[in-house]
Amino acid sequence: MPNLKSADVVIVGTGVVGVAIAEKLLDAGIGVLMLEAGPRVSRAEVVENFRNLPLARKGDPSSCYPPAPWAPHPMPSLETPEDAYLQLSGPDKYAQTFIRYAGGSTWHWAGTSWRLTPDDMRLRTKYGVGRDWAFGYDTLEPYYARVEHLLGICGPSDPGLQWPPVEQGTPRSRPYPMPPLPFGPGEQRFTEVAASLGYKNIPTSQARNSGMPYDDRPACCASNNCVPVCPVGAKYDAATALGRLESKGAVIQANAVAYRVEANAAGRIEAVHYLDQDKRSHRVAGKLFVLACNGIETPKLLLMSKDARHPNGLANSSDQVGRNMMDHPQLTMTLTLSEPYWAGVGPVVNSGIMETSQGDFRSEHAGAYLRFNNFARNRFVTFNALNKGLVGKALDAEIRRMTACTADVVLAHEVLPHADNRLTLSGKKDWLGLPKPAIHYDVGDYTRKSAQVYSVPLGKRIAQAMGATDMKIATKFAQSKHIMGGTIMGHDPRDSVVDPDCRAHDHDNLFLPGGGAMASTACGNSTITMVALGLKAADAIVRQMGRA
Amino acid sequence: MKAFLHRVIPVVLGLVLCASAGASRRFDAATIERGRYLATASDCIACHTAHHNGAPMAGGLVMSSPVGDIVSTNITPSKRHGIGDYTEQQFADALRKGIRADGQPLYPAMPYVSYAALTDPDVHALYAYFMEGVPAVEKAAPHTSLPFPMNVRMSMKVWNALFLDPQPLARTEGRSAQWLRGRYLAEGAAHCSTCHTPRGALMQEKKELNMAGSQVGQWYAPNITPHPTAGIGSWSEAELAQYLRTGRLEGKSQAAGSMAEAITYSFSHLEQADLDAIAHYIKSLPPVDLGETGTPGAPRFGQGQAGHALGEVRGQGYAAGMAGPQLGAQVYSANCASCHGASGEGTRDGYYPSLFHNSATVGKTNLIAAILLGVDRKTADGHVFMPPFGDQPNALNRLSDKEVAALANYIGVKFGGGDASVKPEDIAVIRQGGPRSPLLTMARVGMAIGVLVLLALAFTIVRRRRGKVGA
Repeated sequence: MPNLKSADVVIVGTGVVGVAIAEKLLDAGIGVLMLEAGPRVSRAEVVENFRNLPLARKGDPSSCYPPAPWAPHPMPSLETPEDAYLQLSGPDKYAQTFIRYAGGSTWHWAGTSWRLTPDDMRLRTKYGVGRDWAFGYDTLEPYYARVEHLLGICGPSDPGLQWPPVEQGTPRSRPYPMPPLPFGPGEQRFTEVAASLGYKNIPTSQARNSGMPYDDRPACCASNNCVPVCPVGAKYDAATALGRLESKGAVIQANAVAYRVEANAAGRIEAVHYLDQDKRSHRVAGKLFVLACNGIETPKLLLMSKDARHPNGLANSSDQVGRNMMDHPQLTMTLTLSEPYWAGVGPVVNSGIMETSQGDFRSEHAGAYLRFNNFARNRFVTFNALNKGLVGKALDAEIRRMTACTADVVLAHEVLPHADNRLTLSGKKDWLGLPKPAIHYDVGDYTRKSAQVYSVPLGKRIAQAMGATDMKIATKFAQSKHIMGGTIMGHDPRDSVVDPDCRAHDHDNLFLPGGGAMASTACGNSTITMVALGLKAADAIVRQMGRA
Repeated sequence: MKAFLHRVIPVVLGLVLCASAGASRRFDAATIERGRYLATASDCIACHTAHHNGAPMAGGLVMSSPVGDIVSTNITPSKRHGIGDYTEQQFADALRKGIRADGQPLYPAMPYVSYAALTDPDVHALYAYFMEGVPAVEKAAPHTSLPFPMNVRMSMKVWNALFLDPQPLARTEGRSAQWLRGRYLAEGAAHCSTCHTPRGALMQEKKELNMAGSQVGQWYAPNITPHPTAGIGSWSEAELAQYLRTGRLEGKSQAAGSMAEAITYSFSHLEQADLDAIAHYIKSLPPVDLGETGTPGAPRFGQGQAGHALGEVRGQGYAAGMAGPQLGAQVYSANCASCHGASGEGTRDGYYPSLFHNSATVGKTNLIAAILLGVDRKTADGHVFMPPFGDQPNALNRLSDKEVAALANYIGVKFGGGDASVKPEDIAVIRQGGPRSPLLTMARVGMAIGVLVLLALAFTIVRRRRGKVGA
């Protein structure tokens, strides 16, 4: 049985990847101790935090997750660049948000779960850019199916509406466990407009209980509050699984900030050291270790764990740890429409045009995924109405009009791995005295060119067809908070950090599963792929523990 | 090798025999089908199947009773672990007399007191179904071990002699066929009285208070006599039949707990004529008013109104709200308002019920149980699921006794027309399985007194002898 000093497997991080792995190991009879840097809070508290926020801060999904002093995370609406947790540099700002709470950042994800396509995994072979994956789509497919059933991902049964598209020859091994959610009026109109231009707006496969309970969680109540928190647990987030893990024997230690991974002379990992909220240090031994702390904290912890034998940090003989930082650079078009669309009925992201992410143009520039954001608009337009100096009924009428007749269309791009997009340890220290992450970032010409010649012109055509009377298009790329690449996967230990099972090339008993391992981003949200890699790692861990 | 063959040959032979036995069916399909319908009407599956993917009829469900936990048995036709060896007579005796094949009495958690009403042809059909319509599950269900002296099964023989009526349905004149059918189903197969009729000190049903309401484990099975305020006198027969089919009557009530199971597994699958008959019979019962919990003198279906106390919690922060005098309002906002509305109004389509005009919020027991245990009910209309707020792995939030008490008082006063009398101790009682019967204590005290009397006697005798010796 695991205790607070040692366990069969020590998992650092209680986000969706760590939780999925933990459950697989527990089901296989392997003892699990999980370390979580941040606090463990109730959904009730997060929900009330949100409700008590002033309107101006409700648009920042981190606002209802105040960080513990010992586990800081980015708080965009409260930080200055100087005191920010992420120290950013470069032409584009790698301004990510994530949550260091038990349950991790799925607390405020939208639940969007697009699989990669076969082409997404062979960019080098097919288009001569980026990196190929260490394996093909066929290897990943069964894990995708498992994730869909583990998390409860709803999606269409009509192959014509599924992703990846049937043209890429990708039969699904299992149907989605639940049907897709119906479109709201805005999405319905957007779908018709897209169709008039020859594009297919398809239902988002998403980790949300559509019209039925699943996983002992209730059906979606359409509160349109998926981001920043689902108040009823109808959207899967890893916090919903913590109680179940404990009922299966997991020990979950919150407020335990891992700061050093300890390797022995043979290169095997012996222990993880953590600091508690009173700054006391603890050592946790184990047979096997999993770092699933997200694509920023995992490379940071590896770099912090440098010792005489590993002067560049652990798992870093390739010098690739912290490099290849990737995301989905996005541009938002804010439209004023001549007729009401009424975004906001149903979940916050419920459909998207994915086919525009694929094509031979990828040898020249990035693809893009276009989505009609289904966030209710009143939160965003109220200040515009106030700024017009309106009061009373006129103010109400204007808020209502703009809620109906404005829309955000998001263009989400892929980005290529580049060694100079790099996370290092900043000289600035956090509350515990640990280094803050520093990240240099440039989305690169491949992505910039897409915006110039492809995605924005396409977005403008769609906006015009939607009846836009005004169009504001972001000029700087924003981040999608899909952290990828920092512990990149490959067969060759000289230019990659982990093997196809997310095992560190340098350390046989150290696994680094999640977004950090992804060798390409494609355009769709990364979580389902991160968890698929986690389950693949879990299978490898079970085999490895069986041999031990 | 020889030893191996010795082991394998009987197994192979056994398989061959089983297969051939399976080939020669003893019952025709129509009989088995009728048995299946009666088993559905009797809701065997609700108790004899473990939750969370237990094999049908293979037992293993742990049911909290006032005298301890009772585990349901495997009633599949497995010869080793189930009832595959039962003769029809043994099956009938278990069903109607509460006597197992080995002669040991069953505990009356098995509603044989009600099943005693089943006719011979219906018992025959049920036997056919259980022998040939249910897949055998070769797995033993865990044993029931009640605390002493309840573990002495033979004591049930005395109980049966006192309380088991072999002919529970008295002959009546002048009743319609529908009424007779309704009575047969309600008092027999559907065993409504098992839960809805108050029980006496020895756990026997008080027949004179038939269907007047009773505590059953963590839930209160309410008064379903036609009393206009204490019972369901305000419901039409059609409404009652609709409730049995769907588990809810909008603006009045919805089924949870074991009634949700009865709706899910039993009533929602019955023929409309049978539901109508049950409703017709229930509405003909003598009205009773116990003046107890859940019957505050006005119908429990029209209490309360919309309202909130957000002004007193909003803006001060969650921690302050949880520490302040408006704890109930704060817990409500954080846990309930997302579905049931800030003012308890529910949704317009009724998918999320309003909390006023809702019997679930009237009287404290079911309100507490709904909060702690949630609601889980499946019908043709869909799967209704409210998450629990107790200690379960899937509890949406784990609320403390103090928090549930404050919430129950907030809801009870605001929406249920009640008073703020719920205390944290009341929550603890429901959390641990519901009120315990004094029966166990009585039995133990009774025996202790018996032992003391014996000791006293022995002491007196010894003294007398010593006296004699000394004399």
